[in-house]
Amino acid sequence: MSALSITDLSIDFPTTKGVVHAVTGLSLAVARGRRVGFIGESGSGKTTTALAVMQMLAEPGKVAGGSITLGETDMLSLNEEEMRKARLSRVSYIPQGAMNSLNPIMRIEDQLWDGITAHEGTTDREQLKARSDEVLESVGMPARVGQLYPHELSGGMKQRVCIALGVILTPDLIIADEPTSALDVVTQRHVMQTLKDVQDKIGAGLILIGHDMGLMAQSVDELAVLKDGVLVEHGDSRQIIENPQHPYTQELISSVPLVGGDSFLDAEVGAPPINRGEPGVPLLEFKSVSKTYGNVTALQPMSFALDGEVPKIISIVGQSGSGKSTMGSLMLGFNPPSTGQVLFEGQDIAKMNAAQSLEFRKQVQAVFQDPYACFNPFYRVNHALKFPFKQFGYATSEAQVQEKMEEACRAVGLDPSLVLGRYPHQLSGGQRQRLIVARALMLSPKLLIADEPVSMVDASLRATILKNIYDLKDRYGISILYITHDLATAYHVSDYVIVLYQGHVAEAGPPQEVIGNPKHEYTRLLIDSIPWPDLDRSWGTPSTAAEDAERLDRLARDNKTEFRGSVSGFDLELS
Amino acid sequence: MSDMPLTRAERKRQRRIRRFDNPWLNPKLFWGAGLLLAIIAVGILGRLFWDPELVFVGSGIPKMPPPGFENLRGQSGTFANPLGTEGSGRDMLALIIIGAPNSLYVGLMASLIGMSVGIFLGFTSGFVGGRTDDVIRVLSDVMITIPPLLILVVFQSAFGDVTLTMMALLIAGFVWQSPTRLIRAQVLSMKQSGYVQMARLSGASTWHIMFKEMLPNLVPYLFGSFIANVTTSIVTAVGLEVLGLGPQRIPTLGRTIYEAINAGALIQNLWWWWGIPTLLLAVMFIGLLLINLGLDEVSNPRLRKLKL
Repeated sequence: MSALSITDLSIDFPTTKGVVHAVTGLSLAVARGRRVGFIGESGSGKTTTALAVMQMLAEPGKVAGGSITLGETDMLSLNEEEMRKARLSRVSYIPQGAMNSLNPIMRIEDQLWDGITAHEGTTDREQLKARSDEVLESVGMPARVGQLYPHELSGGMKQRVCIALGVILTPDLIIADEPTSALDVVTQRHVMQTLKDVQDKIGAGLILIGHDMGLMAQSVDELAVLKDGVLVEHGDSRQIIENPQHPYTQELISSVPLVGGDSFLDAEVGAPPINRGEPGVPLLEFKSVSKTYGNVTALQPMSFALDGEVPKIISIVGQSGSGKSTMGSLMLGFNPPSTGQVLFEGQDIAKMNAAQSLEFRKQVQAVFQDPYACFNPFYRVNHALKFPFKQFGYATSEAQVQEKMEEACRAVGLDPSLVLGRYPHQLSGGQRQRLIVARALMLSPKLLIADEPVSMVDASLRATILKNIYDLKDRYGISILYITHDLATAYHVSDYVIVLYQGHVAEAGPPQEVIGNPKHEYTRLLIDSIPWPDLDRSWGTPSTAAEDAERLDRLARDNKTEFRGSVSGFDLELS
Repeated sequence: MSDMPLTRAERKRQRRIRRFDNPWLNPKLFWGAGLLLAIIAVGILGRLFWDPELVFVGSGIPKMPPPGFENLRGQSGTFANPLGTEGSGRDMLALIIIGAPNSLYVGLMASLIGMSVGIFLGFTSGFVGGRTDDVIRVLSDVMITIPPLLILVVFQSAFGDVTLTMMALLIAGFVWQSPTRLIRAQVLSMKQSGYVQMARLSGASTWHIMFKEMLPNLVPYLFGSFIANVTTSIVTAVGLEVLGLGPQRIPTLGRTIYEAINAGALIQNLWWWWGIPTLLLAVMFIGLLLINLGLDEVSNPRLRKLKL
């Protein structure tokens, strides 16, 4: 029996530039007890379809045609009051950012009770209490969590509360919109497990919206691949992952980097690497650098020397709060270290005069995580490329600047006539991030700090942008510090990997050793928790959230470091 | 396709879309600016086509009504004084020609000075931080709690007769706090933004970051804050004038109302004496309000609605 059936659904958004067809002719059925994954890139219509089921489309979107039937009810014919009653009790929605979805001034149980009271009118305290305790236990949390306020819970726990809220009235259909995108991989695994368990128990249909092929492979029975509002492929997840028919699906699956799998980088290396460092003086040196914010240690003392003679990519891997971004901002001189010194070509960057500081900026550039924030909305994108080029005295004439910009755009695979001269909001995230890489290329620094350069870019573009960054090392002799949470890409691009956990180096060495064959318990846990797009590979060892939390806690106190060999030109030392 | 003439409905639709895409083409802004420009035009054209000498005492018969009306003495108005005269024979039209731009001038001037101080202190406080930030923040917080009229009454009575610019300066001392706080908050959040970090990476000077990267993005806020301050300043200035303070020799709308009240114009049914300046002030405030609403739509696109 199908919980939800969508027939020939079309959704339009009228805008000033004409009508945007967000979803066109989509037909799909979700059976009770089945898990269906909606996968596609941003703007593919996956969330829009789900919101249409609940009549919660954002203005000015409207359903232009087709029908949505939940059980026996035609959802599109319900009026506001009927729809209000159907939401949560028949179809529930688990949002992306649980941290913003809970009311900060209400206890958890009050928020759970609100749902029951609004639909059933029950106000008997004991009954409410019993039900909220039961539902909290069903998502693997003790009943006393109900007494707490949202800020007292961790991200994973808040997401569980949202799941509890979603299943408290045993709906026929649960829509989970990227429920784990804000969580780190270890927590992600547990939260997904919880979601699958409660869904099994109440026997509802589940729509899981996401963009991560690995997570989908490990979580759903059926996959629906959406592209530009059209359902391009739909079927059993094993069949789709092992034998994708549509070229777009094939591209999505092949763009997921695997540890140990084929590299997404070209095997052939272009020109031999250019040597740009000065012999004898390390390009960048940390001398027992540490950083503390109040009582919190963001980075424990560490020393390293990076030799710029032969360009290298050093990856710094860790989850949020591991101190990896702190390292990035220390290197850029945005933050002074609490102890120790950061040296660039033998000069302490905290004690540079104006001329030296300009030279330092010329030689050390960065690519940041958020391509949307990196451009000043007031100016055309040219400003971001042109301004530093002139500031550093590379410009000789307007024509030369223009030519350099066009050359850099072409080098990162952008058509200059399509991107230059536009405003940032007219370009996609992928185009903007490539422009930032083009900017780095134009300035040709000796060192580039790439802080999560692809985490906010659509999956199919990630490989291309990483390839652009990798080319910077090969063709232009730029050394790169690649800061990421993604072990698979670090495995492929880097010459040396440092795994950070709570400001402490857990494991360090060449990627084949550290990621290919991890020795440290933390690295093993991370790799275990990554969902692989391979149905025969199990998703980690069975362990409960509590066990893992205890393991992590023990590791934080251990402060043990595994050194797994070294590469020439990079020396790491812990003090 | 393109050479086919557009129907009326299509042209109308296109105009609406253009207006949506370019928020400055906003009917509220247009009307608001129109009303203010009309008051300025009255000042300029009036000086050309009417005799400004008529503002002096005794230039006409006192308490004459506008043409078509009679005063309590049974005299009917003539076109020698198209808006009537006040209690000492001054011509109302000349009073308005001189007075209305004066009131607007005080408001604009006070707001301009206040904004400049606010921009400077806001940027300094947000950018420099530390002790400087503490001092500026505490100072502006304290100043916000002080009722300006009370202090100004004391000041003005101490100064006696003041010029318009002096008056604007005194009022400016009470309108710099809110722009300071607004800009400080914006600067603090913008300091962390990606494009400011990019500019720092590009070796930009603090000066460049402040005025080339941050300020352009603040323009809609600054405009909004400026207009709000003009309104506050005019209200304050008129308030003081109605109390009989402020410039004694220069005609302003507020002073005309003060004299009307003092001479018992309300009971003597001399409605043109107090009514016309009040009406002009109302027009001024409606104009400013419309501009403010229009600017709100410019800086906050969510307020814009597209009806197709």
